[in-house]
Amino acid sequence: MCTKKWGLACLTAALMTVSSCSRPANEASVKKMPPGEQFSGFLSTYANLKPNPEFENTVSFVSQDPAKNVHKYVAVIVEPPVVYLATEADEKALPDRGRTALAEYFQHAISEAVEDAFPIVQSSGPLVLRLRSAIIGVDAGPQTSADQKDEKSLDRAINIGKVAVEIEFVDSQTGEQIAAAVDRQTLGEGAMVGSTTFSQDEKFRAATEAFDGWAKRLRDFLDSAHELSKDDIARTEATNFPYASAPSK
Amino acid sequence: MRRASLPTIVLLFRGLLSAEEVSTFRAYVDSNLCARIMLGPITPPRVECSQSTVKEGAEPVLVNLRNNLVLTVNKQKMIRPFVGQLAEVSGEIKVKNGTAKLQSANAITAESVPQGDPARKLLDVRSYRTDRSAKLHEKIRHELAMMPYITVFDFISFSQMGSDVILSGWTVRATNRSTAYNIVKDIPGVETVTNNIEILPLGSFDMQIRAAARAALQLGLSRYFWGSGSDIKIVVKNGQIILLGTVVSKADSDLAFIRCNSVPGAFKVFNMLRVQSSQNKGA
Repeated sequence: MCTKKWGLACLTAALMTVSSCSRPANEASVKKMPPGEQFSGFLSTYANLKPNPEFENTVSFVSQDPAKNVHKYVAVIVEPPVVYLATEADEKALPDRGRTALAEYFQHAISEAVEDAFPIVQSSGPLVLRLRSAIIGVDAGPQTSADQKDEKSLDRAINIGKVAVEIEFVDSQTGEQIAAAVDRQTLGEGAMVGSTTFSQDEKFRAATEAFDGWAKRLRDFLDSAHELSKDDIARTEATNFPYASAPSK
Repeated sequence: MRRASLPTIVLLFRGLLSAEEVSTFRAYVDSNLCARIMLGPITPPRVECSQSTVKEGAEPVLVNLRNNLVLTVNKQKMIRPFVGQLAEVSGEIKVKNGTAKLQSANAITAESVPQGDPARKLLDVRSYRTDRSAKLHEKIRHELAMMPYITVFDFISFSQMGSDVILSGWTVRATNRSTAYNIVKDIPGVETVTNNIEILPLGSFDMQIRAAARAALQLGLSRYFWGSGSDIKIVVKNGQIILLGTVVSKADSDLAFIRCNSVPGAFKVFNMLRVQSSQNKGA
């Protein structure tokens, strides 16, 4: 009986070892900007992007398909942003926890920016958009000095000076692109992130401001995509009458 | 001493708060549907609307006569017998959520509401919109119509009694509720705003019904759907569909009703569509 129990335990342990060995070393594999490319390859398509006169340094697309456009959706899933390192960046100098901190803060910023326009939901379905985003061109910054280090500090700061943002809204069921933008406005010029809790540290305020800035531009883009056309305004004006003043029964 | 006094203060404070929340008030027992589209003062057509829609499955609610606030209740059985009547109820009210935790409800007559009592406002047709405030009415209508982020699945309406405005309807976006309130509150001439706009759940079941209902209506009634909006509004709550808005003919209204009845998962359709020829826009 005792032997059987030990055997079972050994088998379980062996299985666990095998399964952990077969898993990739780093599930969130490091993504890098492809050399010589204009875009990261993150968006489902770049074919529709055109310069947007309303937003400096931005190329964008908004679907005008009468059946599939931003007006036809009521909620959004905000996916965790993906971080792409600059082509020449040393990935060893940019550990996972630093990249995760960037992604988490940006996710928080874009969620706040869009949630009152599109309530955030957790599962895909009809009328639900999926907001995909990527932070592009993250690089390694200077070494953190030993006297300033604490458990939240990163060994090397993250330089977001040349960062751009790629975002797209896709249909959560079909994956079809409904709106997209690549925002190259360099809001992060000179900004560094040296801690996993950078948003709470005054030293890194320039970085949080940059992410908040990109999130605000995302919301502005969404608002402009959602603007009513002249015909729509006229029709809304002509048809929107309260029931209270005209009882139906 | 200090340690002992803190919990006592907390308990006292909580006791005071809960004592404040329990109140007795006079209310009209309405259906959620008629209360939200605000057919106006309590006239025979409104009573008929309340009774018929509750009979067809709409949720009974209370309309506080003092401020026209719509309150959903925890014990629907308690007020169901009084639908279309006035009642004196007591319970805990949560104004922010528009809910009431009922303790008792008793039918009363209109005569029992004293003359001059603010609660009489809702009973008096004359206190509703007058020609004097037609400009204000139009301004409110325009501002609400121009709100961004209103979809085919939102219906926002209002009723006006002099300088008092009651907002009503349903929305899938919580922000529309507060935006409407803020817009109207800032219009010169508006003194009080009661916000009866209900926020609809975004559960996947209702979302599927919304999408299917819109698709079903677009099949035969595409002319009512345009760029960013539509003349027909589809309100979906817990599997029930409420059709609102205006169509040009009775045939279109009937077609909309039939199409929505074929939507999988929808177990009740309330057709509240208005037919254009019978609509009195200027009233």
